[in-house]
Amino acid sequence: MARPMGPVRLKKTNPLTLTIGIALCIFILYFLLGSSAPDFSAARKATAASHPLSPPTSPFRQSSPGAKLKAPPVTRYNLNNVTITNTPVENRENVLVLTPMARFYQEHWDNLLQLTYPHELITLGFILPKNKEGNAAYAELDKQITKTQRYGPEKDRFKSIIILRQDFDPPLISQDEAERHKMQNQKPRRAAMAKARNSLLFTTLGPDTSWVLWLDADVIETPPSLIQDLAFHNKPLIAPNCFQKFYNSEKKKMDERPYDFNNWQDSPTAQKLGESLGADDILLEGYKDMPTYRTLMAYMYEDGGDVHYEIPLDGVGGTALLVKADVHRDGAMFPPFSFYHLIETEGFAKMARRLGWQATGLPNYKVYHYNE
Amino acid sequence: MLPFATSGSKVTPRHHVSGYSNGYPRGGTFELSPHRFQPRGTTPSFRRRRRLFVRLGIIAAVCLLFWMFLRPGGGSLFSIFSLGLLSSGDDFQLETVRYYDLSDVQGTAQGWQKEERILLCVPLRDAESHLAMFFGHLHNFTYPHHLIDLAFLVSDSKDNTLNVLLENLEKIQADEDDTQHYGEISIIEKDFGQKVNQDVESRHGFAAQASRRKLMAQARNWLLSAALRPYHSWVYWRDVDVETAPFTILEDLMRHNKDVIVPNVWRPLPDWLGGEQPYDLNSWQESETALALADTLDEDAVIVEGYAEYATWRPHLAYLRDPYGDPDMEMEIDGVGGVSILAKAKVFRYGVHFPAFSFEKHAETEGFGKMARKMEFSVVGLPHYTIWHLYEPSVDDIKHMEENFGDTSSQWEKDKTEMQNIVLQEKKKQGGGAAESKEKPDKLIKAQREERKETRKEEKKEERQPRRGGQQVTEDR
Repeated sequence: MARPMGPVRLKKTNPLTLTIGIALCIFILYFLLGSSAPDFSAARKATAASHPLSPPTSPFRQSSPGAKLKAPPVTRYNLNNVTITNTPVENRENVLVLTPMARFYQEHWDNLLQLTYPHELITLGFILPKNKEGNAAYAELDKQITKTQRYGPEKDRFKSIIILRQDFDPPLISQDEAERHKMQNQKPRRAAMAKARNSLLFTTLGPDTSWVLWLDADVIETPPSLIQDLAFHNKPLIAPNCFQKFYNSEKKKMDERPYDFNNWQDSPTAQKLGESLGADDILLEGYKDMPTYRTLMAYMYEDGGDVHYEIPLDGVGGTALLVKADVHRDGAMFPPFSFYHLIETEGFAKMARRLGWQATGLPNYKVYHYNE
Repeated sequence: MLPFATSGSKVTPRHHVSGYSNGYPRGGTFELSPHRFQPRGTTPSFRRRRRLFVRLGIIAAVCLLFWMFLRPGGGSLFSIFSLGLLSSGDDFQLETVRYYDLSDVQGTAQGWQKEERILLCVPLRDAESHLAMFFGHLHNFTYPHHLIDLAFLVSDSKDNTLNVLLENLEKIQADEDDTQHYGEISIIEKDFGQKVNQDVESRHGFAAQASRRKLMAQARNWLLSAALRPYHSWVYWRDVDVETAPFTILEDLMRHNKDVIVPNVWRPLPDWLGGEQPYDLNSWQESETALALADTLDEDAVIVEGYAEYATWRPHLAYLRDPYGDPDMEMEIDGVGGVSILAKAKVFRYGVHFPAFSFEKHAETEGFGKMARKMEFSVVGLPHYTIWHLYEPSVDDIKHMEENFGDTSSQWEKDKTEMQNIVLQEKKKQGGGAAESKEKPDKLIKAQREERKETRKEEKKEERQPRRGGQQVTEDR
């Protein structure tokens, strides 16, 4: 029996199916071709440099491959207008986060991502040694950077990211924590660290940075509002207290212990000890055979104390440290030599002092170091 | 008819439509009655709007095609989808990640062949009158211009320095000749003015001198930290008031492959003053006497070369010049002058800078030399390779001359006789006529000196002290 099926068929291939099909096609095409080219909002594009020869703290326009590069423009930077205030978000102040990195810690990157300071004002700078360890760290870092800068949501993406590879070999000391902290290994290790910090600092500072945040690669947990909180104090150098979380086998639970002993206030004993040393010798903190009797910020933490409580410091550690860019611009750097018997970050605090800038510490404001 | 009668007619009879009057249901019977299709009298909504969909589709396709033709630059599907849908149509992408290997920018003896970039730093203050001369030098550099990045610091200028500078630089970058174009050009504006007033202490003339050096150091550091990039292999510091220098100076200094290197800096003088004079006395070798002196001084004291009281007996690069000596001869030095310094960028990257505080009793460029030595970099001067500083008797000079007139400190006497000896020596050789300078720049200098002799003014003064003769220890605060 020939049942007239015509009208039924017509009804099934209805235009809704067609429309959905077309829409799907467009979506597939869009994701195939378009997803490799994420884009930035017009506001971000406006702040970009027009030429690759430009301060690395700003992104630059990629020219189309065929076009001939024009002569770079004459660019004016008025440093009188670069503000450094205690309300950095409101004043749109650029922050440079600098990290010497020997190992990559995922927690460190995740912590950077959760910072609430507007990411379009943050430039990240990394320096990695050129050895096997450095290559491994770079591979992991690069993966995370691509994920964030290319495929991540725009609010997560940082203003720009600079990766440097060191031009000198770190002294051949194992990265093992016990070996690393041995006293006789400290001077070459910290001199190399100082050179790495200076290389990173002076090639990336640029003309529009307001604040420099030094954050070690093994700092894995900070309050999300770290930058705002530290800047709020409006101090030339300010250091939070660096602690470490560990499993306390006596108490059978997670516990915390002080970690960074380079934040200290000087003592007459240390001064005298310094005078007895040779010109190139350095004083170190946290070693039993060199008692300095300095007041260490690490031990000044009070449970439930005011997080905004400030103390003056004579030596600082570099695990976490917010510095006004002007301090570095005046020339304060990390001496890779014995400077008043101090080296690296501690020498930096002293050099800043010689230039008229006083360091401050926040004993009750904690950040956490990785536990090896 | 009455209204209620019409409304009554709407009441559906219970047994009429659903079946026949005999009560049997309609279903199941074979029926060809046309009213069987009556309830589906309306076409389905999709079919009804089909034409509309087709039309919309055609319009969309036409729009896409149209767009494709309208945008010749972004003709590919790629740009249509990414830019047409997402952004307002800027056809550039942003690059936010930069990677640099610092071992690629170490600086070698043949930088121009290896495409090594130089950062040329020029601090400026009220320098409008010297800019024309400076741009002459800039035009003549033989080092490939596109490998030179220029950075200027304009601070506390009351004249038209900034505008003249901008105008000249833009002219260079717009030049038809591509080889004239320089690399990145940054003009940094920063006023340190307020601090000058705070620091100047009238009670002690030399205290102001020390803080002036510290302030200049600060300015240099601001300029460098704003302009140094990870792609620089070399940094060249140059004052604007250099009158004569070889066009090949960058290559000449680079060839020595030293971490820090300076030429000798002299200045021409009117004939009645001896024709020429050592100018930059900040390049010197350390002496035992000076070290002993430094030990006795206060932490903030700065030994400023050039304002004589204490004799440090340091051998100065300037006084060791022999006009016919080997221009490639090197001399190790500890303090450097800032008129023309070529340094490897890694010196600055590792942290050497111009101390704006008393570093081993020195500040600014002399402290820079000291710090470079401290970090085991090679610091070298070329006693017989000379560039010439502009001669202009400033108010400062004249005042200083009056203050120190007749001052016969031992250092000054020594300096003077040494200088006169050099002049005499040169005159003898010139008199001989046989000796010809082997360097092109030296010929130029002589030609200019001849000119100056002709046009010199009839000033009469028996003696003139070198502007920076001897040493003076000054204390800041």
